[in-house]
Amino acid sequence: MLKVENLVTRFGSVVALDGISMAAAESKITTVIGANGAGKSTLLRTISGLEHATSGTITWQGESIIGLRPEEIVRRGIAHVPEGHAVIAELTVEENIQMGSLFRRRKFSSDVAAAMDEMYQLFPRLQERRKQLAGTLSGGERQMLAISRALVSRPKLLLLDEPSLGLAPLVVEQIIDTINSLCRTTGLTVLLVEQNANTALGVADHGILLALGKVVADRPAAELKADATLRAAYLGY
Amino acid sequence: MNTFLSALFSGFANGAVYSLVALGLVIVWRGAGIVNFAQMGQAMFSTYIASTMIISGYSYWFGFIVAILAGAVLGAFLDILVMRPLSHKKRGELLNSETMRAAVPVIASLGILGVLQSMAGIIWVAEERGFPAPFKQEGFTVGGTVMPFTSFDVFVVSVVFIALATTTIFFKKTGMGLAMRATALNQEVAKLSGIRTNHARTLSWAISGAASSLAGLLITPSSNLSPNTLDLALIVGFTAAVVGGLNSPIGAVLGGFIVGLLISFVTFYLSPEDVFISILALLIFVLIVKPRGILSGKDSRRV
Repeated sequence: MLKVENLVTRFGSVVALDGISMAAAESKITTVIGANGAGKSTLLRTISGLEHATSGTITWQGESIIGLRPEEIVRRGIAHVPEGHAVIAELTVEENIQMGSLFRRRKFSSDVAAAMDEMYQLFPRLQERRKQLAGTLSGGERQMLAISRALVSRPKLLLLDEPSLGLAPLVVEQIIDTINSLCRTTGLTVLLVEQNANTALGVADHGILLALGKVVADRPAAELKADATLRAAYLGY
Repeated sequence: MNTFLSALFSGFANGAVYSLVALGLVIVWRGAGIVNFAQMGQAMFSTYIASTMIISGYSYWFGFIVAILAGAVLGAFLDILVMRPLSHKKRGELLNSETMRAAVPVIASLGILGVLQSMAGIIWVAEERGFPAPFKQEGFTVGGTVMPFTSFDVFVVSVVFIALATTTIFFKKTGMGLAMRATALNQEVAKLSGIRTNHARTLSWAISGAASSLAGLLITPSSNLSPNTLDLALIVGFTAAVVGGLNSPIGAVLGGFIVGLLISFVTFYLSPEDVFISILALLIFVLIVKPRGILSGKDSRRV
């Protein structure tokens, strides 16, 4: 389980996270929703070590991970897919996936190839394009590649930032379905950040609503989805 | 005809060492995203170490190997002591802008160059000394004329091709090579993939340090060794790297030979004084016509 307590992250004088406490339950999908600038991405970036927390604690499987570098946090089983289809355009599809398993080469050498094959089974389109440069892929394929790059490290917790950004509804559905079935079949824990609250709450078990760096609601997803007052006040529809 | 052959051979021989200089620049550029102007200062320093060892009675090859190792260690140290602290985001507002983050390491590398040259001046009293070549410096004879191409040049050209093949295979086929490319292209994604980017950067500095020390050892026999000997080689090597696109080892080597041949033909057919202006003209020409280098055809950039 991931547990965050009183987390504060500042950028100069801007307070992006203002004392956040939340948790992500094992083998469940927890979604973090909220308007632009609510601090959703910063929350994920602080958990994965890309941003430095000003104060507060982050505990993962009973161990504090605050202050660790991103490359060490991945080794503890937390994989982060940042916003904007983060792949390396100048590398091939295969190299992008391989990159995510480099650190497992020594300890789990027999499993590395198997993990890559699984990614190709998950997203067959990537296998067809495996020798192509990632920069030549469509937006949806890039997002699949970014997710594969994270999953190939066999994480226990997947931090997914706005996977639907700029993608066609059909592609979004396919990606969300894949994540959902992974969670249900392999027991992967997912922390999903989305601006598209309806999609996210539709698939998630639990929902957390952020506004201006604070948690305003922390409830089962279905309940949050049904709350018209909250939706109107914080999401504007 | 003989002038033409002479120019060709001499250009080929010179081009080989410039290829090595360019290769060193490309490795740090690919691995750490920095144009390292201190590179030939590092090479000069390790050549002085080799020279000192040879003078005190060790064999040429012993000095040769020690110098290459010293070059690698010095490169790694410079990264750990200077470049790594400079890249820390927390260090202050100065590094918040993208432009400054790109400019600061380059300026630092110029600073390192100055420090290395002064230190060499202090340690080795800035004396000019000769540096031996491991093979005969007598030209081969073709059709009764002596060509400016010696057994030493054969050695140099072979070394360059071995270095090129090794780096290309290393970057393309090994996990560490992939980690280094990823680090240079996108640190954030590299880190999130579990790549220890600090190690990858240091390794590229070490490899580049070794390659440029090799270049230093191969250039100095044809000139003399002094703290400033290799400045010209840096300018020429930089032009070669830009001609090749700064990104590709093969481009660097091609660029090295192009520049080497240009210098040699200008020297033979025009005059040695026109060499600099011709290098500059080539640099500007490439920057205007093919700003990403001659091998940039299938390059794709992020939109």
